[in-house]
Amino acid sequence: MRAALSILKKDLRMEFRSKESILAMWIFSLLIFVIFNFTFEVSRLVMLEIAPGLLWVAFIFSGMFGLNHSFSVEKENGNLRSMALMPVEGGQIYLGKFLSVTFIMVFFEILIFPIFIIFYDLQLSVQMFMLIPVILAGTLGFTSLGTILSAVAVHTRNQQILLSLLLWPLVSPIVIWSVNLTGVVINGEITGSFYPLLIRVGAFDVIFFTLAYMLFDFILED
Amino acid sequence: MRSKTDKILLIVLLVSFLTSLYLIFAWAPQIKASNTAEQIAQKIFYYHVPSAWLGFLAFFIVFLASVAYLWKRDRRYELISVASAEIGVLFITLVLVTGPIWAKPVWGIWWTWDARLTSSLILWLIYVAFLMLRRYLPDGSKRANLSAVVGIIGFVDVPIVYYSIRWWETQHPKAVMASGEGSLDGDMFIAFMFALATFTLLYAYLLKKRYQLLVLEDAVNKQFKEMEIL
Amino acid sequence: MAITALQLKDVSKDFGRIIALRKVDLSVEVGEFVSILGRNGAGKTTLLNIISGISKPSSGEVQLFGTDPSDTANKSKLAVISHEMFLYANLTALENLEYYASIYNVLNIPERIEFVLNSVELKHRRFDLVGTFSRGMTQRLTIARALLHEPSLLLLDEPFTGLDQHAIGMLTSLLLEQKQEGRTILLTTHDLHTASELSDRYVIIEKHSVMQDGPMSETTPEEIRKKYFSVQPAGVHQ
Repeated sequence: MRAALSILKKDLRMEFRSKESILAMWIFSLLIFVIFNFTFEVSRLVMLEIAPGLLWVAFIFSGMFGLNHSFSVEKENGNLRSMALMPVEGGQIYLGKFLSVTFIMVFFEILIFPIFIIFYDLQLSVQMFMLIPVILAGTLGFTSLGTILSAVAVHTRNQQILLSLLLWPLVSPIVIWSVNLTGVVINGEITGSFYPLLIRVGAFDVIFFTLAYMLFDFILED
Repeated sequence: MRSKTDKILLIVLLVSFLTSLYLIFAWAPQIKASNTAEQIAQKIFYYHVPSAWLGFLAFFIVFLASVAYLWKRDRRYELISVASAEIGVLFITLVLVTGPIWAKPVWGIWWTWDARLTSSLILWLIYVAFLMLRRYLPDGSKRANLSAVVGIIGFVDVPIVYYSIRWWETQHPKAVMASGEGSLDGDMFIAFMFALATFTLLYAYLLKKRYQLLVLEDAVNKQFKEMEIL
Repeated sequence: MAITALQLKDVSKDFGRIIALRKVDLSVEVGEFVSILGRNGAGKTTLLNIISGISKPSSGEVQLFGTDPSDTANKSKLAVISHEMFLYANLTALENLEYYASIYNVLNIPERIEFVLNSVELKHRRFDLVGTFSRGMTQRLTIARALLHEPSLLLLDEPFTGLDQHAIGMLTSLLLEQKQEGRTILLTTHDLHTASELSDRYVIIEKHSVMQDGPMSETTPEEIRKKYFSVQPAGVHQ
C-alpha cells in the first residue's frame, strides 16, 4: 500500500507541476463541445437528450490523454524497467498508477463540468447530486481497464492508436450504462431501475480492477 | 506435410459442407415470407448463427490458451491463442458480412443495431486489436505476456459487452426484428445442427492447420538461428 | 568461506524464433567483481535481465542469494545501472531520490539521500529539475539512486557509454569503493581497460553462450581484444 501511495504522490507531484494532462484534457473536451455544436444542428430538446452522450464522449476522448501520458512518462526514461526491478508487487504498482490516473481524471471532470452546464443550459437540481456516483462509477471502470491497457500499449511504437483500439471496444458497456444513467439524472426521473444499473457499473469496476491487479505482474516481466 | 488424419479430416469436411448445403436448400422447409428473396435470404441464418457461435468459441480458446501460457510459459500455448484469434476474426467477419445480406431483403435495411450484430462487431474489434497489438511488438516473451493479458481481459469482457448491448436494445425498441431463431421445427433444426457441426469441424481443421504452420515457422527460424551461431 | 551470490545452471532463453542465451553456466561469489564482455547482440543484456529477475529463463536454474531472483527480498538487494536513466525529468534530484528511497524502504531517508548526493557531488543541484541536468549529471544521479538502498548486488549494463571523463572517473572510484565494502558487482562493458582495472574476473559471452571465464590477473586487455574481438578477414563468418 505504501508503495502505491508513493507512486501516486510522485505522479501527482509531476502533474500538478506541469499540468500537462489536465490542461490538454480540459481543452480537448472544450473543443469537442464546440465542434459538436456545429456538426449537429438540433433543437434544444434534442440537444438535452444527447447531452449525456456528449459528456461521456468528451470524458473518454480526453481520458485517453491522461492514460497515455501516465505511462509515456514511465517509458521515457526506462522507468518501466525500474518498476519491474522494484521490490514491490505488480498489483501495488498498478494500484498506484490507477489511483493517479483516476485522481487526475476526476479533477479534470470537475473542471469541465461547469462548462458542460453552461453550454447546454442545464437546470441544476438536487437530483444532480446523483451525478457524483454515476460519473465516479463510470470513471473508475474506464481507468481500471485503461490503466492496464495503457501499460500494454506503451510497449508499442504507436502507443496512442493501440490504446484506442484496445480500450474503446472493451469499455463500451461502461459507456452504454453511464450515458443512460447520466441521462436519467439530467433529464428524467430516478426510478427503481436506476440503482441496479449503477450497481452493475460498480460490479464492472470491481471485476476489472481485480483482474488487472492480478495480471499486472505479467506486464512488467520480460 | 499432410498427415493421413488431415487428409481424412479435409474430405469429411468437404462432404459435410456439401451435405449441409443440400439440407439447407433442398431439405429444410421454406419459411413463410412475403417474397422469394426473403425466403432465400433466410437460409443465411443457417450459416450466420453458427459463425457467431464459433467465433465465440474461438475466443474462448484464446482465453484458455492465454491462461495456460501465463501459467506454463510454453510457446505452444501462445501459438494456439494466435491461431484461434485469427480464425475467430475470420468467423466473425463472416457474421458481419452475412448479417447485412440477410437483413436487406428481410428488413429492408443493411444494418440493424441488434444485439447479435452489434456485439459481433465489438467482438471483432477486440480481437482485431489483439492481433494488431501483436503486429506492433517484436517477437519474444514480452509480446507473449502482453497478448495473453489482453486475451484474458478481452474474453472476460465479452459476455459483459453482449449483455450490455442486449439491455441497450430493450431501451431502444426498433422495428420488429426477429432474431430468426425462435423455435426451429424438426427439419430446420436438423439442418441447423448439421450446419453447426460442419462449422465446428471447419474451426477445428483451420485451427490445426494454422497452428501447425506457426510451429513450422518457428522450427525453421530456429534452425537458421542455430546455423548462424555454429 | 566463499558464499555464492549468484548461480546459473544450464540457463537458456529462447523463444520461438529468438535465441538469446544458450546453456549458460555461471557462478559468482559474494564480493566478486566480474566483467561480462562480448559483442553487441551476444546476449549480455538478456543475461542481466535474467539475473535481475525481470526475465524468466526458458530452461535452467537461476539462484540469487539462494532464492529466485524475482523474490521481493532479492529485489531489495539489487541495483541496476544502465544507460537508461530511471529518473523523472520533471522532478528535482531530491524528489527523485525521495521517491526511490520510499519504494525501497530506505532507513533514515534524509541522511541517506544527503550521503549519496555528496558521493556523486550533486548536493548543490538537488533542488533542480533533472530535465535541466547534463548527461554526465544524470548518470551521476542514476548512480546515487542505485546506491540509496545499499544494494548487495550491483548490475551495471554498459554504464560508461556517453560519459565524460569526470563522470567516468567518479563512477570508477565509486565502484572501487563498493568493491571494498564487499558488494558483489557485475559489469558489462566494451571498455576493456576499465574492466581490467576494476574486475577480478572476466566472462566472455559469445554467440549466446559463455565462451571464456577466467581471472583478470591472468590476462591483459590487449590479449582479450586480440583473442576474442579482433576483426576477421573477409570471408570468415562473424
